Amino acid sequence: MLRLFSTIQKELILLFRDRGGLAIMFLMPVAMITIMALIQDAPFRDYQELKIPLLLVNNDKGNLGTTIEAGLKESKIFEITKQNSDEAAVKKIIKGGNYEIGIIIPPNATQLLNEKVNQFVSKKLSDVGLSDSTPTRVNNTPEELKLLIFFSPETKKSFKASILSSLKQSTSKLETQTLLTYFSKELNKENTEIKTEQRMDDFINFDEVNTVETPKEALLLNSVQHNVPAWTIFGMFFIVISMSGSIIKERDDGSYTRLLTMPGSYITVLAGKITAYLFICLTQCFLMLMVGIYLLPHLGLPQLVIGNSIPAIILTALFTGLAATGYGVMVGTLFRTHQQSSTFGAVSVVILAALGGIWVPVYVMPDAIRMFSEFSPLYWALSAFHKIFLNEGNVVSVLPYLVKLIAFFGCTILTAFAINKIRKA
Amino acid sequence: MTTPSVAVEVKHLFKTYKGATSPAVNNISFSIESKSIFGLLGPNGAGKTTTISILCGLIQPSKGDVALLGLSLKNNLEEIKQRIGIVPQEIALYPALTAYENLRYIGNMYGLKGSALKKTISEHLEIVGLQAHANSRVETFSGGMKRRINLIAGILHQPEILFLDEPTVGVDVQSRNLITEHLRLLNKQGCTIIYTSHLMEEAENLCSDITIVDNGEIIISGKPKQLITENHTENLEQLFLKLTGKKIRD
Repeated sequence: MLRLFSTIQKELILLFRDRGGLAIMFLMPVAMITIMALIQDAPFRDYQELKIPLLLVNNDKGNLGTTIEAGLKESKIFEITKQNSDEAAVKKIIKGGNYEIGIIIPPNATQLLNEKVNQFVSKKLSDVGLSDSTPTRVNNTPEELKLLIFFSPETKKSFKASILSSLKQSTSKLETQTLLTYFSKELNKENTEIKTEQRMDDFINFDEVNTVETPKEALLLNSVQHNVPAWTIFGMFFIVISMSGSIIKERDDGSYTRLLTMPGSYITVLAGKITAYLFICLTQCFLMLMVGIYLLPHLGLPQLVIGNSIPAIILTALFTGLAATGYGVMVGTLFRTHQQSSTFGAVSVVILAALGGIWVPVYVMPDAIRMFSEFSPLYWALSAFHKIFLNEGNVVSVLPYLVKLIAFFGCTILTAFAINKIRKA
Repeated sequence: MTTPSVAVEVKHLFKTYKGATSPAVNNISFSIESKSIFGLLGPNGAGKTTTISILCGLIQPSKGDVALLGLSLKNNLEEIKQRIGIVPQEIALYPALTAYENLRYIGNMYGLKGSALKKTISEHLEIVGLQAHANSRVETFSGGMKRRINLIAGILHQPEILFLDEPTVGVDVQSRNLITEHLRLLNKQGCTIIYTSHLMEEAENLCSDITIVDNGEIIISGKPKQLITENHTENLEQLFLKLTGKKIRD
């Protein structure tokens, strides 16, 4: 134990005296968290509170135009601008890029709808012998009712489909209502009573049920909830540079050789080194979470919500730290110079971070890239933190990620030992 | 613990590195008497470092037997490690730590602690004239000061055998003199010293026995004065050049 504690003490003294290293380990993640949270705040809000600019030309004076307009407003996803323009002008405006969608409701749209419905009802009733008179308008085929929809050239197919479906939904109710009104009128002639003055209710209703029962309001992934754990993990993994540098320096200056000639296993020395760096990782994590809870709200950002499972947070931080230090040991053993290890360490951590969803959430990545995310330890760590922070995760629910992180630690340490063994031969 | 009369016994030692075409150490056998100062000399690439590395347990021999202090190296490595000390050629210290912190760490690694360790460190620093610099960082020291601390780091735990690889390389005359005087003192106290150097004059003055190796083989062994006389040379350097040639080694 003396050897272990003495190594921990020595490593901590060395770490605290390396001011440049400390700045990288602590100030860099704070700066990254603050800057990225501020930068990404607006895009995250846009993503969640998306308002699509829509240009509406409502030439109809009747129910149909009003219903469509009301439906669009109710959906709360459009920022509606009303304007009186013709087809060519709307087309030009949409192409100009200021609006994602343009809709033109033709004049007399309500009247055309009524005519079409009336003709349809009369024909159907006549077919079954319930109507004694064929409407006079039946012979005159009504003008086709067409709503014109313009999409910006950049609009995705799936988005177009969802908009069309939304419009269809808001107009179908009116169609049905009109249909019933006309049926009622015709049947009333046959002394059958159907009250149609009542507003027709939906037969099937959809209720959105929140899957998370947080004590506070339901929490969505916002800039703070993403960036604080993300850059904390990044900072923890950046310890690779300092740790691998320390291993290489010890090897270069002969201290490693001296340590090997001393009694006891080198594993104890390595355990001491890992423990010291793990302590730094945990301190980093604690401080970064404090930044999210106490500092970011002062900058106009939401406060970090850390869920309810402190043990899960501690274990996730611990296992993430182990994965980071194990990676540091492996890089330090694999490379012969500090320059090689620092370059590889930095680049590999940045790549693993990008794949792991540190820069941008994994769900916005293409499928091909998302596949690789599954192999990034930073992704496992981030997923565990998201599970705890956003989904009321606990130790059990983050266990799969913890297992992966500890397995990664084991693999890196074994690789380092294998490299040493090969070199010793 | 009694020290046997033979401190080191090496029998038919071979070492061939992976991928090498010829052995670095090729069937060498020698023994080192207890309480002697033994010089293992040879040009670059002769096999000195490989031999010392095997004796310290750093690398495994391909073949052969090694016993230190009467114990087989193969079966008693941990006990042997506790009883030997190493002073590597490199300044194997942590520059950002003070002299005292470096020595405390190394002492702790040998199981020394508390006031006993503090007293030992203080005594050694006093002997090498660095007591006043105990709390200064090693990175602020001159080359000679670093070498002296490097020496203390290898002897804090009072080893029975001390291995030194070029302990005085690149230091001023005063520091070199202080180091060699300290080595003589340690030897008088019963420590067997095994020493490699390219400084033939220093080896001639310091060593009671020498072995010159070249191409992984022993080419001569004995007392320096005796070998110089027998080979009709004036000093150890002449003997060395006579036996190993004047061709520059890389």
